[in-house]
Amino acid sequence: MTALVRYVLASVVHSQRYLPPYLVFLAVMGILTSNDAGSLLPIYAVAAGVELMCATWLTIVVANADDPGQRAITVVNAGGSGRVLVATVLVTAAGCVVMTLFGLFFPLTSGRHRLTVPVVAIGTAAMLTAACTGMAIGLLCARPVIRRTGIMVLTAIGAMLVFLLVPGVPPVNPVFHLLAGDQPPAHPVGPMLLFGAIAVLLLAGSTALARFFIVRRD
Amino acid sequence: MLLRGIGKRYGDGPWVLSGVDLDLTAGEVVAVVGTNGAGKSTLLRLLVGLSRPTVGDIRGRPASIGYVPDRFPPHERMSARAYLIHMGRIRGLRTEPAARRADELIERLALVGGAGTSVRRLSKGNAQKIVLAQALLVPPDLLVLDEPWSGLDTATHTVLAELVAEVGHAGGSVVFTDHREAIAAAYSHRMLRIAGGRVSAHEAVGVTIELRPVGDAPVTLAGHPGVTEVRERQDAVVVLVADEQRDALLRTALAGGWSVLSVRR
Repeated sequence: MTALVRYVLASVVHSQRYLPPYLVFLAVMGILTSNDAGSLLPIYAVAAGVELMCATWLTIVVANADDPGQRAITVVNAGGSGRVLVATVLVTAAGCVVMTLFGLFFPLTSGRHRLTVPVVAIGTAAMLTAACTGMAIGLLCARPVIRRTGIMVLTAIGAMLVFLLVPGVPPVNPVFHLLAGDQPPAHPVGPMLLFGAIAVLLLAGSTALARFFIVRRD
Repeated sequence: MLLRGIGKRYGDGPWVLSGVDLDLTAGEVVAVVGTNGAGKSTLLRLLVGLSRPTVGDIRGRPASIGYVPDRFPPHERMSARAYLIHMGRIRGLRTEPAARRADELIERLALVGGAGTSVRRLSKGNAQKIVLAQALLVPPDLLVLDEPWSGLDTATHTVLAELVAEVGHAGGSVVFTDHREAIAAAYSHRMLRIAGGRVSAHEAVGVTIELRPVGDAPVTLAGHPGVTEVRERQDAVVVLVADEQRDALLRTALAGGWSVLSVRR
């Protein structure tokens, strides 16, 4: 699995298509946080929203790094399409952790904020929740589940909008309201854990569903 | 490796293959012939496990499989050598042995453009060599090649033939496709033909004889022993006949109002 993860990572790095999602993430964070001196929680809430979109994008980039012919070779050498799918998830997850670190500490470079452990913990949980949700969307929108680029983009945008904007759809929208509201709770441990767990379940479900579609398509 | 009662269809589409029974023994080189779209690639995808049969059983598929698809990886930006080392590691080699084996294969296949060139900047034939090399990094117990002789120059044909024979000698099974029977016959122990979704044993054709009618009513050659195909051309016919029947056929044809234009193997 290490060799496969290394290959997927190298393939993505060589393709350079990972750059746009990171640049968009950093640009939005830069616009949102310039000369800001308020509480960090609303910033982290918005960062989570942006990370949902960029994680979806990154997942599609990683999953589509191999073209179908190349993918056939990789699958045979790796001993099954399931292993390639797991490697895709692992590489994307690592990419999302990097994005989360940017999101956590970038605001400190451009504004004056007081960083406390609970705030960092809440921010991390919010962004990873969004990242897992984005990955869940991306896995089901990328090849080989959806092969046409047009349908891929429309499905991904539609799903992102549902998770971001439709009130009460767990797990990202409630987290957004929880942190960006006028009175963010001091220790929202319970709800954050709940929504984090929902996001992880979404990712697991999406991986299983992607596997189902890949096997059926073959 | 055994295939029993294999049928394959995609979704609700027509059956691409049906009722396929196939035994592959160790050390055997099998050629699959058939027209474009007959289902050759589908059979190969089933063999390597990229595709699952809709009905039927595949038993005894070995763990170490080399697969050479007919399409090359055109988008790969990493160097040919780096790509091969990655594939070797995925197959379970450590970096050092993977690099050594990659260099060895690059040298044997005489890769033009260099090991350091990114794969997508290689010519079609040279990219095909990389696809071939990745399948041989670890000696495969099953080597499956889709139209491997197409797009390679004559010098590489010889190397490919050697590599295929080596896999066979080491006890691996080899299955390859080609739409040209002459090539399929030359490099295999036995041939299979796919037609109408069915797979059947296929005999080597032997020689191609081109004949022109000289009499008013030349004898019909279609029913002659050993004749597998009679194709009509403008003012000639092309007859495919088994090796052991070629002299008999020529005698019949010459005595029966035909003139020989050419005889080719």
